[in-house]
Amino acid sequence: MYRWTRDLHLYFGLFISPFLLLFAASVFFLNHAKIVPDKWLSAETFQNVEIPDAIDRAQGKDAIARAQAILQQVGVTGEIGFTRFVRQTRHFVFPVSKPGVETNVDVDIDARTAIVSRRPTSVWEAFAYLHKMPGPHNVAIRGNWAGTRAWRWFADGTIYLTLFITITGIYLWWTIKAERRTGIALLSAGIVTFVALIYVVIR
Amino acid sequence: MSSSAKRRQTGGFAVFEKWNRKLHFYLGLYFLFFLWLFSLTGLLLNHGQWLIAMAANERKETRYERTIELPAGATDLDRARDLMRQLSLQGEMDLPAVPQEPGRLAFSVSRPNDASQVRVDLDTRLASIQHFDNSRWATFRIFHTFSGSRYNQPASRRDWMATSMWVLAMDALAAGLIVMVLGSYYMWWRLKPKRQLGLIVLAAGYVACGWFFTSFL
Repeated sequence: MYRWTRDLHLYFGLFISPFLLLFAASVFFLNHAKIVPDKWLSAETFQNVEIPDAIDRAQGKDAIARAQAILQQVGVTGEIGFTRFVRQTRHFVFPVSKPGVETNVDVDIDARTAIVSRRPTSVWEAFAYLHKMPGPHNVAIRGNWAGTRAWRWFADGTIYLTLFITITGIYLWWTIKAERRTGIALLSAGIVTFVALIYVVIR
Repeated sequence: MSSSAKRRQTGGFAVFEKWNRKLHFYLGLYFLFFLWLFSLTGLLLNHGQWLIAMAANERKETRYERTIELPAGATDLDRARDLMRQLSLQGEMDLPAVPQEPGRLAFSVSRPNDASQVRVDLDTRLASIQHFDNSRWATFRIFHTFSGSRYNQPASRRDWMATSMWVLAMDALAAGLIVMVLGSYYMWWRLKPKRQLGLIVLAAGYVACGWFFTSFL
């Protein structure tokens, strides 16, 4: 039992360690960084874009499917944030993101043109992007890119394995009798800090 | 190297090894509940379709009005702070990104367990407050993101002491995790029989994580 627990603690820990480092490092960026997003650095116009049917009426997943049909024509990949049909100008607009690059696609339905604007992001922004993905927003359409779906698996896996590692970690610590007293003191100190902070924030 | 220097180095090494190992589980035990909170709230944030996550979207809304004294202060921020005091509101305050309408002041105040949107007519000295009480699950989930700052909105800043304390806890947990991971690499490397399989597993982790950064290549 001890041996298996120790080995699983070690190997699962090693596997998720890069993900843990990414989640931990991005916390500093999310909490303290201030950036003014750069303007779109490049804009490319595509002519004769094939416009999917009923693009002006499509909602939710249907709208995403139509946006994806356009993405294939303009050679862009990534997670579509949302779609918007601007009735006055008859433009179909949607942002697309993936780690390292943000793209905006603006389709003129009547002229059958698409303007694709790109903005490369820093590695820190990419960390923050992954930290927040898939996230709580637009649940119905989230995961419309294979990369986001794959990341969801790894993000969830990191959490489940972290929970496993904490539980096995408690067991492994408890087997070291000489460390029990100090460990209990630190665990108690952690609980007191945790409860006190929660109280301060919601009182 | 002289034998005494070798002994000194070995001694220092032994102390490092001992404390690196101790630090690994001391940090783990101290941050245990923080780690559980951020892990479980992370799951809730990533699975909006779960019943618990949907329950977290529920909140009770109340509206009320209060007469106020003309707020003191040279800036909107100062005036909003004065109004918070008058209305007995506590939490992280946010001013809208757009300029305020003449004769009006709008701002919001939030904490994990509740939020208020305040609209003040300075001419009539009347404040309209839309107050939301978050459900327990919502409160729990908001702790994950409660930092009072958004990196892509340079104007947003923390202005409540409790938020700063919570952010300090988040930073400490992140720093603790980094120390634990780096320390664990060392402990694993010292276990010679575990090196080969460990290297394969570690490489698999880095390849899987690195795949998401191929846009940078």
